[in-house]
Amino acid sequence: MPSDTLSYSQKVSEAAAFVREQTPTIPRVAIILGTGLGNLATHISPELTLPYAEIPHFPQSTALSHHGQLVIGTLEDVPVIAMQGRFHLYEGYPVMEAVLPVYVMQQLGAEILVVSNASGGVNPKYNGGDIMIMNSHINLMFRKHQALANDELIPPGSEQPGTLLYDRELIELALRTGRKEDWAIHEGCYVSLTGPNYETRSEYRMVRAIGGDVVGMSTVPEVLTAHSLNMRVLALSAVTNVAKPDALTETSAEEVVDIARLAEPKLTAIVTDLLKTL
Amino acid sequence: MLDLHDKIEDAVAEIKKQWDKTPHAGVILGTGLGSLVQEIEVDVAIDYGDIPHFPKSTAVSHAGRLVCGTLAGLPIVAMEGRMHMYEGYPLDMITLPVRVMKALGAELLVVSNACGGMNPNYRCGDIMVIEDHINLMGDNPLIGINDDRLGPRFPDMCEPYQQTLVDRALKIARKEDIVAHKGVFVAVAGPNLETRAEYRFLRTIGADVVGMSTVPEVIVAVHCGLRVVGFSIITDMCLPDALKPANVEEIIAVANEAEPRLTTLVKGVLAAENS
Repeated sequence: MPSDTLSYSQKVSEAAAFVREQTPTIPRVAIILGTGLGNLATHISPELTLPYAEIPHFPQSTALSHHGQLVIGTLEDVPVIAMQGRFHLYEGYPVMEAVLPVYVMQQLGAEILVVSNASGGVNPKYNGGDIMIMNSHINLMFRKHQALANDELIPPGSEQPGTLLYDRELIELALRTGRKEDWAIHEGCYVSLTGPNYETRSEYRMVRAIGGDVVGMSTVPEVLTAHSLNMRVLALSAVTNVAKPDALTETSAEEVVDIARLAEPKLTAIVTDLLKTL
Repeated sequence: MLDLHDKIEDAVAEIKKQWDKTPHAGVILGTGLGSLVQEIEVDVAIDYGDIPHFPKSTAVSHAGRLVCGTLAGLPIVAMEGRMHMYEGYPLDMITLPVRVMKALGAELLVVSNACGGMNPNYRCGDIMVIEDHINLMGDNPLIGINDDRLGPRFPDMCEPYQQTLVDRALKIARKEDIVAHKGVFVAVAGPNLETRAEYRFLRTIGADVVGMSTVPEVIVAVHCGLRVVGFSIITDMCLPDALKPANVEEIIAVANEAEPRLTTLVKGVLAAENS
């Protein structure tokens, strides 16, 4: 059947069926590896690596430092599925295309979503290299997310969650790892904008004034999707630099990627600690 | 965005057929400010309809021509009439003329608009030199696959409006005894004017004036490496505790009245480029 005549849920099912044909593993945890954090995938004992291009209906990844493949395997003996490379709205993907992999990972069996991102800090108490565990977000992306009310995609028998988007227990676990390892770790609010330009000084001030601690260009669409599917969500933000709007200096993509790379061991430790509890 | 490169070339080729100079600056004239064009020694004025891929301008009081000529001794191209997001144009189309200006050789973008003043220290008819902006349009002209020939994937926005040009414009204003402020412009899509609660919100997040244009063009100017100077004419005051219905005719009348002052500032900034 040509793909343009398929419904969205049929596309999700076809993509999931394609993955299932290649491996019997039922992943419990889905992991989305954001900018500069892709190497967490090297800690996974892989059973299967699928480039996005081979998976039916998957969009293609174009962003800086992203590879674009699905890795299925085990991490701390827990079956996981990881997205190495993700889809940003600034690349022009409609929300429903960008979040399709989340539906697929849930349909394959994932009950927990761990998502990471690189963000710019606006909370003056933060420093570049800190980790922030998201406990809330403000969505300033102005994009429609048609399927959140689509019953077809919600697992049968489950009620709409109506609970916190960000799982309290998972937040506590992550914070505990941070204390144990003695890092600067915060919990806070992530403000999502589409980008792709970095923010003006006035926009950083706005983000701070409305209650944001960090600002970024991703994560919120995936979190909303996972939550609508009753997945428990843990979202980790690597604070790459702290914007000081009264003395703003230039931000470059390379710099952001470099600092995000320094955060990799920390995010790896949080995720492995979490998996040990499962 | 990958088709933009070819569209720019098509437009540039057509303009070059009719005008062979290299502009130093591109000028975008906002609502009620189109008669600044009368100050230009015009070589040729090209209807947008005759330039490939240029959209037609439909808003009240907008003409829709690209005027090529000389202002303050500098070769310039000026957009008489601009396109707005609320007219339904996609932002990459609205901002195409900015990329064309750059491709023609311009290094400076001068933008102007009519806006609503929210800072209570401003008065109707005052000019604000734009120091910074907040994009609340819910869209961005750079969304899509980036063409690295045109600019970087993640343009920095720490100084979209060149501070030295802001200072220069304010200095000219003081010398000419023109009331001019330095402030923050917030862009919304419109087309409805804001509610009182929205004015309070926009003021709270740090804006001095609000308008429905300019920010897409400036984002693209920064993306393609143009220096930018921006002017807002405060054509009505939007004070939420004493809000009156807005009237388009009055707004345009205020803009027309303020226009000679804006012209003085624009000519002054351009003249200083020459020295």
